[in-house]
Amino acid sequence: MEISQQTANTRKRRFFDNLMRGVFLSAAVVSASFIFVIAGIILVEGIIPFVTDNQGVGSVDLWKFITGATWLEGVTFYSNLYGVGFIIVSTLYIALLSLLVSFPIGVLTALFIAKVAPKKLAESLRTVVEILASVPSIVFGLFGSGIILKLVYDFSNLFGYQSKGGNSILSVVLVLAIMTIPTITAISEVAIRSVDKAIEHGSLALGASVTQTNFKVVLASAKSGIFASAILGIGRALGEATAVSLVAGGRRSGFSFDILDTTSTLTSIMLEGMKETVGIDYNIRFSVGLVLMVVILLTNLVLNAIKRKVGNVHVK
Amino acid sequence: MRKILIAILFLSSFTFVGCGPSEDEPTFDTSKNITVYTRDTTSGTRTGFMEGIGFPEASSSDSVLVQGFLIRDNTAILNAMTIDEYGIGYVSLSSVNATVKGLAFNGVAPTVANVLNDTYGLKRAFNWMLRAPGDYPSETVEGIVNAFIAFLGTTDGGDIINNAGAIALPSTTTWDSIKGQHPVCLTNNAAVTVRLGGSDSIQKVAEALTAAFKPKCGNFIAEHDHTGSGDAYKRTNDPAIKDTSVGKDIGFASRQFRGSELNVPESLRGRLAWDAIVAIVHKENPVSNATAEELKSIYNGTLKTWAEVLE
Repeated sequence: MEISQQTANTRKRRFFDNLMRGVFLSAAVVSASFIFVIAGIILVEGIIPFVTDNQGVGSVDLWKFITGATWLEGVTFYSNLYGVGFIIVSTLYIALLSLLVSFPIGVLTALFIAKVAPKKLAESLRTVVEILASVPSIVFGLFGSGIILKLVYDFSNLFGYQSKGGNSILSVVLVLAIMTIPTITAISEVAIRSVDKAIEHGSLALGASVTQTNFKVVLASAKSGIFASAILGIGRALGEATAVSLVAGGRRSGFSFDILDTTSTLTSIMLEGMKETVGIDYNIRFSVGLVLMVVILLTNLVLNAIKRKVGNVHVK
Repeated sequence: MRKILIAILFLSSFTFVGCGPSEDEPTFDTSKNITVYTRDTTSGTRTGFMEGIGFPEASSSDSVLVQGFLIRDNTAILNAMTIDEYGIGYVSLSSVNATVKGLAFNGVAPTVANVLNDTYGLKRAFNWMLRAPGDYPSETVEGIVNAFIAFLGTTDGGDIINNAGAIALPSTTTWDSIKGQHPVCLTNNAAVTVRLGGSDSIQKVAEALTAAFKPKCGNFIAEHDHTGSGDAYKRTNDPAIKDTSVGKDIGFASRQFRGSELNVPESLRGRLAWDAIVAIVHKENPVSNATAEELKSIYNGTLKTWAEVLE
């Protein structure tokens, strides 16, 4: 009697476990399938310009599209001469430059918060960084178009250079740097804080000064986590559209590395005009999205490979 | 609480750095290059501007424009003209404000009054065209169409048009004072469909108008299908097309009617609004007037510096 009661209980419990397992599985399947749905839709729409004749306009040449130095030659809706080569280059160039600005500032801020600042100051700074990280990108864009454009315009005037209303690579880089600093700071700070105290104490015991310890031991031990913050930072820089298009200037042709010249990124070219266009000019923006996804994927693979090379020190 | 206070203080100190006292008086150097700002090729304002200055091929092609132009949207162009002393751009008249300088076009200042008296040239007319009386799917549709056209000429309709960015014709009549003449609006028209079409530039204005007018006229159904100004005539009065499935009850054109379109009796066509576009420059710019030819030369790169424009 008692035994059969127990079996019934076990069976009931097992049934419930199985049920919940099914619920978890379906939740996972739903969330994971979104990536396939989204990638699928972008793929289907983005491939149209290359495989169909676009209602008489003619198909887009893939090689010319990827290497081209002019966004669109000829008349919109009647031309298939699209090219994004110069935009791919400027997108990577901008992401790299913005990382050059934001990475040192972000990591040093993280070091300050985690190791140097008094506890109360560290607490408030951490809050500030968290607030900054949660500010929507459009706000950074408005800040950029309201203040950074003017600053860059006046700055270039000082050197007798006539910039185009401040719309430039430099403005984009500054806006993106401001956006990515909190991301880099927040993640680096966690990495720095989780460095084993024993390593630090060992360094101090050997006679190294606090500054020497911070740079040579703490940062070196946390380098894996710090590198991860750089990867996330560059991801945010590559994917940002709104803020960028407010200060980029909408360049439509020509490779340019002049930081005071106008520019376009893959995201800004997708965004501009998207709302009012149709046909090939609409589908081609999905093709740009495909290119962007490939660029981000490749960048991440390369950075992760480097990260593995950089290696890891045991942290708790 | 204190944490948040510190955060706010920190953030605001950061903002004030950017708003420091403005720099020394800027002096305008006419030998500097003109920076050309434009909307992108999908913009109706760009079409209106380029056609207005006699440069229609530039309305849908970037390749014919001067090298090194910038593509920005309406607000960004306005904003750019407060920063870039040597820039030139164009926006619709309704968005011009005191922070920039609107150029007179062929000697006529860009004001609402000059648009309405038809002296300011850089503009498009928003016109409507109706089917012949008795040529509607039903008498109710005809009644609603006539009521709608009457509504366009009221102050109520004018407010909607102005809010949608165009310039309504002056009016003193209110809808309340004339609605008695349109008994059809007192009935329930929820099953009646009115078909509107023609210019896609007018679509936004037309949709705003029908959205406002529906509840005033028995909640009829407004079916918008805007395909281009040419279809305003074809789909309401062209015998070969008007009775097919694409036929319309009201057609809109964002230009003056011309050619065979003028054979339609005058009572069946009229104007609801103007859409005026203004070339804008920085306030420090000594230029205050531009001809169509000058604007075209700036946008195609013939005129490179402001000195050449001032000559």
